[in-house]
Amino acid sequence: MANTNLIENKYKLDIIKWRYVSLIVTGILLIPCIAAIIYLMVTQPNHAPLKLGIDFTGGTILQYSTDKKMEISDISKVRVDLEKVGIKNPVIQTTTQSLSDDNVKNLVSIRTSFISDKEGAQKIQEITNTLADDYKDIELVQVNSVGPTLGSELLKNTMTALILAFVAMVIYVSFRFQVEYGWIALLTLFQDVLFVVGIFAIKGIFYDTAIDSLFITAILTVIGYSINDTIVVFDRIRENMRFLAKKYSSNEIINASINQTLARSINTTATTLFTLLALYFFGGATIKDFVLAITIGVTAGAFSSIFTAGTVLSIVKEKFAKKAA
Amino acid sequence: MKNKLILFWTIMAITVASIFVLWKKPTSLGLDLVGGSRLMLEAQTSAAVPKITPEIMDSLQYAIENRVNAMGVGETIVQRVGSKRLLVEIPNITDTTKAKEFIGQTAELEFKRPVVGANGEIGWESTGLTGKDLRKSLVGSAPTTGEWMVELEFNNEGARKFSDLTKELTGKQMAIFFNGKLQSAPRVNEQISGGRAQITGGEGGFEYAEAKEMVDLLNAGALPVGAQIIQEESVGPTLGADSIKKSKTVGFIGISAVMIFMILYYRVMGLISCFALIIYALINFAIFKLVPVTLTLTGIAGFILSIGMAIDANILIFERTKEELKMGRSLFTAINSGFDRAFTSIFDSNVSTIMTCLILYYLGASMVKGFALTLIIGVCLSMFSAITVTKNFMHLIFGSSELKYPELFGLKKEDIENAYQATETKREKAKFGVLD
Repeated sequence: MANTNLIENKYKLDIIKWRYVSLIVTGILLIPCIAAIIYLMVTQPNHAPLKLGIDFTGGTILQYSTDKKMEISDISKVRVDLEKVGIKNPVIQTTTQSLSDDNVKNLVSIRTSFISDKEGAQKIQEITNTLADDYKDIELVQVNSVGPTLGSELLKNTMTALILAFVAMVIYVSFRFQVEYGWIALLTLFQDVLFVVGIFAIKGIFYDTAIDSLFITAILTVIGYSINDTIVVFDRIRENMRFLAKKYSSNEIINASINQTLARSINTTATTLFTLLALYFFGGATIKDFVLAITIGVTAGAFSSIFTAGTVLSIVKEKFAKKAA
Repeated sequence: MKNKLILFWTIMAITVASIFVLWKKPTSLGLDLVGGSRLMLEAQTSAAVPKITPEIMDSLQYAIENRVNAMGVGETIVQRVGSKRLLVEIPNITDTTKAKEFIGQTAELEFKRPVVGANGEIGWESTGLTGKDLRKSLVGSAPTTGEWMVELEFNNEGARKFSDLTKELTGKQMAIFFNGKLQSAPRVNEQISGGRAQITGGEGGFEYAEAKEMVDLLNAGALPVGAQIIQEESVGPTLGADSIKKSKTVGFIGISAVMIFMILYYRVMGLISCFALIIYALINFAIFKLVPVTLTLTGIAGFILSIGMAIDANILIFERTKEELKMGRSLFTAINSGFDRAFTSIFDSNVSTIMTCLILYYLGASMVKGFALTLIIGVCLSMFSAITVTKNFMHLIFGSSELKYPELFGLKKEDIENAYQATETKREKAKFGVLD
């Protein structure tokens, strides 16, 4: 019964053997993300890596609902009408919302620069009146307005929150595990965030998707989730190192640990995705992008915990071992 | 065994108490769910008030509260945000025009004395007597002409100031400015010491509505400083109702899908975790009502995610228990070591989630705060639910019985033999939980 090689025979997924391949594949997948981010940073006047919504830049969004279906010609007519009342370069988007099976409303959202409060109420009334000329049943359902100073402040607070979250994670993992685990955890976090930001940069380029403060919530959730996944893998490596370090090499232990946690990684991601997909398909239109960002992040987080965390750790451990020898 | 029964009945008691709370206490729903408006005001510094102090914010908040309440729309909230901002929430009202007019008005009443400028033109200079010195004001009509006018009644200090001022200006004009606009500039014939004054509407006189609005604004309390609206958000009630309905559907679909998965994959353990999950959801919602947490769309998202985390804890434990069973440990030992060993993972990952949430809670905007709060509550509770509730149920059901039917745990008989060989642990040793 004694067989020292049995630990290898159990591998469902030989991560260590394929470690360079998996890192290269990850790198290739990241290329379009990084390209989109750089493209936006170069082309946008504010050099932001994403298209920023009014939460960050300041501005006003008015959302109207009507029974009439909006065609492209309707939208350009609305644009002309708005310019007549002095709204320059409005961004007009339409979506539909089904309240029940036979009650489908068309939503028109108009994004403009910040309408200040002094003449704001009057201006909004003017816009509503202009639209009511063409659409009798038009109804203002939502107003969202953010002053420019508040916007830039929120952006600053958000960046602070992100950096603090990163620092807190590195310190915590370094403290509970070892310093190199802390840095690798940071690397996996960074990779996951890069995927989410990258895909939203691509969405921004092609669909003009702008991010709001909900997106930041999504990113922070992704950080929490991704660190969860990475910690579960690290926890198993830590435990196995304690009991098996004499018998097996660190590569073997890392490989075994990832395989032991594989079922958990897949099942947890699957159950999370169930709820997220339910949110995406049946939740309100307001949180669609929010849910999409978390979905991408959770998936990326599962991948990075399986394919990045362990592999990079094994490479780092090998380098240390060589130095020591 | 006795302790386990006590724990079981404690859990049941908490569950029943939660159901009672859920039944008795109303849920407080956020503006994005019921519909309404949210305005963010920022105090503006001026030459007269170069710095916004906490005292100024106190009186600004008081004045704004008075004004919003004067609209008579029910449960409004006026809340301090940071050092110079106020958040005003008005449920059910989505047309903010009226609210904005009311809040935006500064109600600055000022009495001024004439000064002769360098080129001989007449200007007006502040005297220090302002709307702050008023006790109250009323709409009145002039006895002779019947015109509408605003009657002012000064407080003690105001009466003294007014008396001094009229003495100083006897034979001269005195100007009354409201919101920077000259209302009237009557000639002062004699010192007035009664502490009362009237404002007439100049040549054309006041309309009734005009006089009434001025009185309302003055009575609501003059804003000590100007306040500017820097953020505005309004959600129609249909959109809100739609969100509630959808969240319910999502919650139902999401949770059912997860439960079906858990039962199919982990069999009996999965079924136990489903009961634990229901108890978890009940207690969680009861805590929301007790704190109370105002449920917003992002708050619900946080809650749904915390359910995900609670399930993750169960999955970690079950996977570990299965592994221990494969190694040939007895059922009792396997369950215990499954919990013990999964605990470090659960603890470390939950602590890191809580850390992120705390950062979010302190730095985030109000919307983000709601998310962080529900997630923190959910994650803390999930530690209790996964460790205490699930473990208690497992012990009560399986006790110290042997593993007779591996299928109940989603295992095959062959699995157990294989794993036993692989880890080279002697069956006798493994049974007592000794590790290699």
